[in-house]
Amino acid sequence: MKCVESIEMEPPPAPTGKPVRLPMGLLGFEQIKDYVLVVNPGEEPFAWLRVEDNIALAFVVIDPFVVLPEYQPDIPPADVEFLGLKSAGDALLLGIVTVHGTSQATVNLKGPVVINRHTHTGKQVIIVNATQYSVQHPLPVADNVA
Amino acid sequence: MLILSRKLGESIVIDGHIRVQVMRVEGDVVKLGIEAPMTVPVHRQEVYEEIQRSNQQALTKQSSPLPKLAGAAKPSAMPAKKMNLSKP
Repeated sequence: MKCVESIEMEPPPAPTGKPVRLPMGLLGFEQIKDYVLVVNPGEEPFAWLRVEDNIALAFVVIDPFVVLPEYQPDIPPADVEFLGLKSAGDALLLGIVTVHGTSQATVNLKGPVVINRHTHTGKQVIIVNATQYSVQHPLPVADNVA
Repeated sequence: MLILSRKLGESIVIDGHIRVQVMRVEGDVVKLGIEAPMTVPVHRQEVYEEIQRSNQQALTKQSSPLPKLAGAAKPSAMPAKKMNLSKP
C-alpha cells in the first residue's frame, strides 16, 4: 500500500464563464464591450454578466421568461439582422436585474440583452413592444421571514 | 441644432432615405410619421434614457448578495419561449 505523502488541495473550480461580446455595450456603458456570463451553482435562476477586464463590476441577470412566462418580446428587425438570428432558438435572452436592498429586486423587460448562442455576440435591444413592459418589473422576492 | 419649420403634411428627408412627416398637430402634441429602412432603429428618447438609468442603477459588485426568489420563479419551471423575431 502506498503512503500518501501529501494531500494536494484541489483548487476551487473556476467559475464557468462564457465570453459574451456586446459590440455596442449596454446603454450608458457603451465603452464596455467584453463580458463573461457566469452561472454560480446555487444562485440560479440568477447569473452574472461580469465585466471582463474588471472582475469587481457585474450585472445580475435572469432569464426573463422565468419571471414572466407570458413575456413576448418583439425583437426589432435591425437587431435580428445585426445579431444574425435565424430563429428564436438562436437567441439567449437576459433581463438585467436591479437589486434594491435585500427585499426588493426588479428586472428590465423593456431592454433585454439578446445574445446569439452560436456567436456569443449580443446587444441590449429595445423591444418593439417596449410600452407593454416595465424597466422595473418586480421580481417575486421571498419574504425573509419565511 | 438645425431648426426647420414644417406645416401639416410636410416632411423632412434625412440622408436621402429617412423621411419624417408631420401627420397631425393637436395642441402641444405633434404626431410624426417616420419612414426609415428596417435597419434604422427609431425610438422615443425617454425609453433610451429610462434604460440607461436602469443599467446604471443595476451595476453592482460581483460579491453582492442575491435576493431569494419566491417559489414561483424556479429555473425548472422554464416555460416555452415566445419571442418574436421581426424579419428584416
